[in-house]
Formats: sequence, structure tokens, C-alpha cells
Amino acid sequence: MKNAVGLILNVDGEDDSLKDFLQHRSLSTLPFGGRYRLIDFTLSNMVNSGLSHIGVIGSHKYSSLVDHLGTGKEWSLSRKTQDLSILSGSNNYHIGRLIKVNLRNLQNNRGFLESTTAEHVLIATPNLVTTFDFKNAYDIHLKNDSDVTLIFKKDDPLYHLKDNDLYLDFTKNRVSGLHYKKEHSTGHFFTEMFFIKKTLLIELLDLSERTGDWDLMDMIKQNIDTLRVFGAQHTGYIKRVNCLENYMKTSMDLLEYEIMQELFLGKNSIHTKIKDNHPTLYDDPSQVSNSIVGSGCTIDGTINHSIIFRDTHMNFGSHIQNSIIMQRCEIGRNVNLNYVVMDKDTKISDHTTLVGKPHAPIVLKKGTVI
Amino acid sequence: MNTECVAMLLAGGQGSRLGSLTFNNAKPAVLFGGKYRIIDFPLSNCMNSDIDIVGVLTQYRPYILNNYIGDGSAWALDQVQGGVHILPPYMGQKGGRWYSGTADAIYQNLDFIDRFDPEYVLILSGDHIYKMDYSKMLAFHKKKEADLTIAVMDVPWEDAHRFGIVNTDEEHCIKEFQEKPEHPKSNKASMGIYIFTWKELKRALLEDAGDRESEHDFGHNVIPALHANEKRIYAYPYSGYWRDVGTVQSYYDANMDLLDVNCDFDLSDRNFRVFSNNTSRHPQFIGPQAKIRNSLICDGCIIFGKVENSILSHDIVIHKKTSLKNVIVHTGAIIEDGAILENCIVGARARIKGDARYITDTTDTTPEIHVINS
Repeated sequence: MKNAVGLILNVDGEDDSLKDFLQHRSLSTLPFGGRYRLIDFTLSNMVNSGLSHIGVIGSHKYSSLVDHLGTGKEWSLSRKTQDLSILSGSNNYHIGRLIKVNLRNLQNNRGFLESTTAEHVLIATPNLVTTFDFKNAYDIHLKNDSDVTLIFKKDDPLYHLKDNDLYLDFTKNRVSGLHYKKEHSTGHFFTEMFFIKKTLLIELLDLSERTGDWDLMDMIKQNIDTLRVFGAQHTGYIKRVNCLENYMKTSMDLLEYEIMQELFLGKNSIHTKIKDNHPTLYDDPSQVSNSIVGSGCTIDGTINHSIIFRDTHMNFGSHIQNSIIMQRCEIGRNVNLNYVVMDKDTKISDHTTLVGKPHAPIVLKKGTVI
Repeated sequence: MNTECVAMLLAGGQGSRLGSLTFNNAKPAVLFGGKYRIIDFPLSNCMNSDIDIVGVLTQYRPYILNNYIGDGSAWALDQVQGGVHILPPYMGQKGGRWYSGTADAIYQNLDFIDRFDPEYVLILSGDHIYKMDYSKMLAFHKKKEADLTIAVMDVPWEDAHRFGIVNTDEEHCIKEFQEKPEHPKSNKASMGIYIFTWKELKRALLEDAGDRESEHDFGHNVIPALHANEKRIYAYPYSGYWRDVGTVQSYYDANMDLLDVNCDFDLSDRNFRVFSNNTSRHPQFIGPQAKIRNSLICDGCIIFGKVENSILSHDIVIHKKTSLKNVIVHTGAIIEDGAILENCIVGARARIKGDARYITDTTDTTPEIHVINS
């Protein structure tokens, strides 16, 4: 895919239910799946599909993104032939509907687009949990001489739909219409991943600077008759994490072996920042079942149907189920947790019981001590 | 960059007493404690001792070892000018030859050490499991104004006959060497860790290289020659965990020490970390029916069976209805439905069939540890 560059957006607007996690980080670096950050999926998919120049647009909460991506070494993006650019986002404000692809974010980053000789840009959001090879979609894009090729999922809503979510209308294999959720559903959901010709993207960027309308998808929707827009189908597992309930559900999906297999055991792996931890020690007696466990943990207690991140320490007599425990948490003795999400560096003292609900888990902010 | 002391790590040995564990792999690159390789211990010690320049002498089956060491960044040894250097045997104008002994390996790399012009040279080997701050040993060496300092530790008297034993005076000055003595006069055993004052080492190596009778070995030739020449040789007393993992049994026992709550060797100690070269893997997946007790497990494992008192390296798949007890499993092995394993080592990428039964005869008090490779 030498003739394409990747561009990972930041997500406009954050759901209130996630605000406890997003005080110091953007959605792209929300910890997920025992050792990952959400952006690892999109970034690894791009790298594994053969893209060698990738730009990531950060939000104003940069430090966690920069800390996580570093030089891009873990994604093989710190070579002379392959690189990662961390780009600045803009301070977006919005009235009414959130903008899915906000061209304001690209306004500051024209240099990234102009300096590349690539003719196509692959744009994707950082909060999609999926493994996807873009090669097939790229072939469709080239074969049809498309201006835009939208990747869609059939019949399966990936997420809690929002007002700005789009459906595709097809006439033969060409996309003949785009609709918002409110209008009507065609069963073809836009996955927030698409190829676009770079010249068109720059043209539309110029246009939006004149008109003040920054919504790229809306511009494509308005001009659907004159643009060559095609669709490429995603047939595998894909979920979008955009609220707490979805975060919980998508995390727990990983405990189903088939989904775990599809996401992590295929020929391409999801890369993430490497930590050099000791192997996880399962003490005697510990009882762990149906769970995902990161490295560097010591576990002394019972864990069921939960996700335990790296470097977590759990003491004797404690019982965790249906919960997500992020990095470097300490859990005392005889603690009982059910439907709890603990952000990083949280400590729970002995004999504490916390019980949330499946749709409304208890969230403990980063660094909380109870 | 600290050029006061250069470390030379002897990593060329075959380790034939480890049997099939070293068929395709040099001993220092053999897996230990799940994710580690034996060489992680001396390299991490160097890092924790502020030693910035390490030459690694390789010879036997070096591919995995070289690949593993890489640019040394895993141990913070990726400096611009210093860092880790892999030193294989090489061709010169008069031809080339293999390293014929530990001293010869260093002798052939005198140029390498001279480039850095250090005051001292630390000689390490790649077959011991221990944590040691070499900077303390170096301070001892300087304080004693020694030409050579040998790290020693007290071993049980009944085991002393298996070691190189040193007899010292009250000032730790070594008066006598006894190699595997029938009647040991002390229980201070050499740990195979030496600090030489560079100019003395260089002189001794040049002399040794000219000696046709010599086997070019530190223990047998170079150190006795220094002793005979009445050089200042001191014993640096070390106490703490140290194991030679030269045989299958000692390798197995040292691994199992990690699961023993009474053993003070702690890999999770943040104050003295043991580093290793990691690649990205998915977290452990523990299936609904899995049972895990007292075990060390690494990333990339998928477990549906019963695992007890065992050490699992990366990317291992344990299918359901299996039972593992006191087992060490190396990277990428697959244990199929129904297999029962006890007291054994499963080699890298081995596939153990479901009808496999390795069960220890309880009447046998010292069962032999099997290494299973298929």
C-alpha cells in the first residue's frame, strides 16, 4: 500500500459515561483488553495492512498518547522507511450534532498531507475494536477509481448509535446515498474507516476553509451524485467503544474464545507498548477462570469473568467477578468486587465490598484509594 | 559513558549437560523462569551496576542468542558508543580459529577492550542465576588494590567438593586454591565472577597465549599463574541466591525455586529488576474450566486445563482435560486434550499428544527430569 498514508482521527465529543476515565486521556488511549489502548487496534491494522506512513491526530490531552506511542517502535514505525507522525488536533467546539470527520483537525496538518507523495489517504477513528486487513478495500478503491471508498458492516450495529452515525445506500456496488440514523436505516453501517483520494481531501479542505463547514462526511453526503463513492464490506468482528456500557460489553466479548481468537490469534497481531514485567504469579490457593490476565500480576484469590491488566496485585481471600481492573491496582484482603471498573493505580483496602450493575458498573477513577 | 570497567560475558559454551535444551541454542539463551533467558541475569546485573560496556563472546549456536541480545536496549545497553557488543570468533591476516578456552576468548578480543582503555575488566559467565551489584565488588577490588578479585560464596560443607574452593586470610586475601577438593579446607566457593585490573589481565593473557601447554582457561591456567607470580588476589564475599544451572536437574530445581514462597529470590523486586527482551503478545486467556495454582505464567498463553506448581513460558496452549504438575513448559508448546504431565520439562514448540502420560513413580525418591520435545 505504498500509495496510501494512514490518518487516525481523534473522536469528536466524549460520552458523559466515560468522563471519569477521560480526565487525563483521550478515548484513543483508554486501556482495553488487559494490556492494550483502544488506538492499538486501528494503528496495528494499518501497519499490518502495509501502510508505512501514519499520522495520529491528538486531542488537547496529549501526554497519554505521546507516552503510549513514543517513537512508534512497537508498531515498526520508527524506521527510515516507515514513520509515525503525532499531529496536533484543534480545539473543537460544537453546537448540535457531533462531527464525525472534522476537517478543522486537518487544517493544522496540511503539511502531513502535502509532504507525502501518496495519492490516497486511509482515515479511521481510534476507538474501533477489530482486526481488519485494508488490502481488499484498497483494491476496490483502486479498481473503481473511487474518490471515496467507505468500509461498511452489514446488519450488525457496532455500537450504540448516535445522531451522526451513517448508513449507506447502494445502487449496484456504488454508494448512492448516505443517511443519518434519524432518517432511516438501510442495514449497511458505516464503520468510520474509509479511503479517500488525497487531491479530493485537500480540495474539500480548501472548500471548508471558505465556507466554514467542517464536516467531511456531510460534504460527501451532499455530493454523493457527482463523486465516485464505493463500499467495501467488513465481515468480521467490529465494535466501537463510545460509552461505558459499550466499553464493558466489548471488553467482556474478549472472554468469548471465538472473539478472542479472531482478534488476537490470527496471523497479524495487535501491537502495543511493551512493558518488561515479571511473569504473572498465581499464588496458592488462587482460582481464576474465564478471564484475561496481563503480565506482572500477583494473584491470590478468586477471579471469574474479569479482565485484569498488568502489574495488578490481589491479596488473599478476595473475590473479583465481572470486573475490569486496570494497570497497577492493589486489592487488599477479603475484597469483593462485582461489576466494577477500576482505572489505573487504584487501591482498595481490606474487607471492602463493591457491587455495581451490569449496565451501570461502579467506576473508580485513576488513583482512587478506598 | 562509564569506561572505568568493561564487562566481558563468556557466552560461547555449548552446555552439553543440559541435553536437548541446548541442541539448537546456546546455554545462555536457554529460557528460565518463564520469560527470561539465562543471560538476562548477568546483563541485568550489569545494568543495575552501572556498567555500560559489555562484550558478549559467542561461539556455539549463536543465532537465538544474537537475535535476543539485539541492540541491547532491553537492558539499557544501547548507548551510542558503549553498550553491548557481540564478539564471535573472526578471521585475521593469519587466518582465524575458534575460541579454544575462556582465556583465549578474551585474548582474541584484546583489541576490543583496548578501544575503551578501561582500568578494570569484569569477567562473567552466562550460566548462573543470581542478582549481584558488581559496583560493590569493584569498590572492594579498588579498596584492596587487588590485581584480581574473585566473587565467592559459602556453600554447604557437604557440597564443597563440587566447587572450586578458595582459602583466604582474615583480609580476604586468597592463599590457596583447591579445585573440586576431596578434603576442602574451606567452604568458600568461586562463583566464576572475576574482576581484573586490566593491565595485569592483559599481561597474564599475553603470557598464557604463548604457553603451548596451557588450555587457556581462567580457572585452570591464568589464575594459578597469577597466584604463582604472587599477584594480589582477593575473595569478594557474596551472600544471596546464586545457582549454577549447568545440568537438567539443577536447571529444573532453580526454576522451581521461583515457586517456593520460602525462597528469597524475587523477580518482582522493583529495586533490583531483572530485564528481558520482550515482544508484543496478547495477554493470558484463562478459559472457563481452567484451574491454576501456584504457577508462573507469561503473556500469550491460553489455558483450558489444570496447571499446578508449574512455569509456563510464552505462547503456550493448554487444552482442556489436561493436567500439569511441577512442569516447566517452553515457548510455543501445545498440550493437547487429555495429556497428563508431572515433573518434566516440555521443550519449545513441542506438541504433546492427548494420550501422553508422564507420571512420576512415587517410590522413586529422586526421579529423573525428562525433557520432552515432541
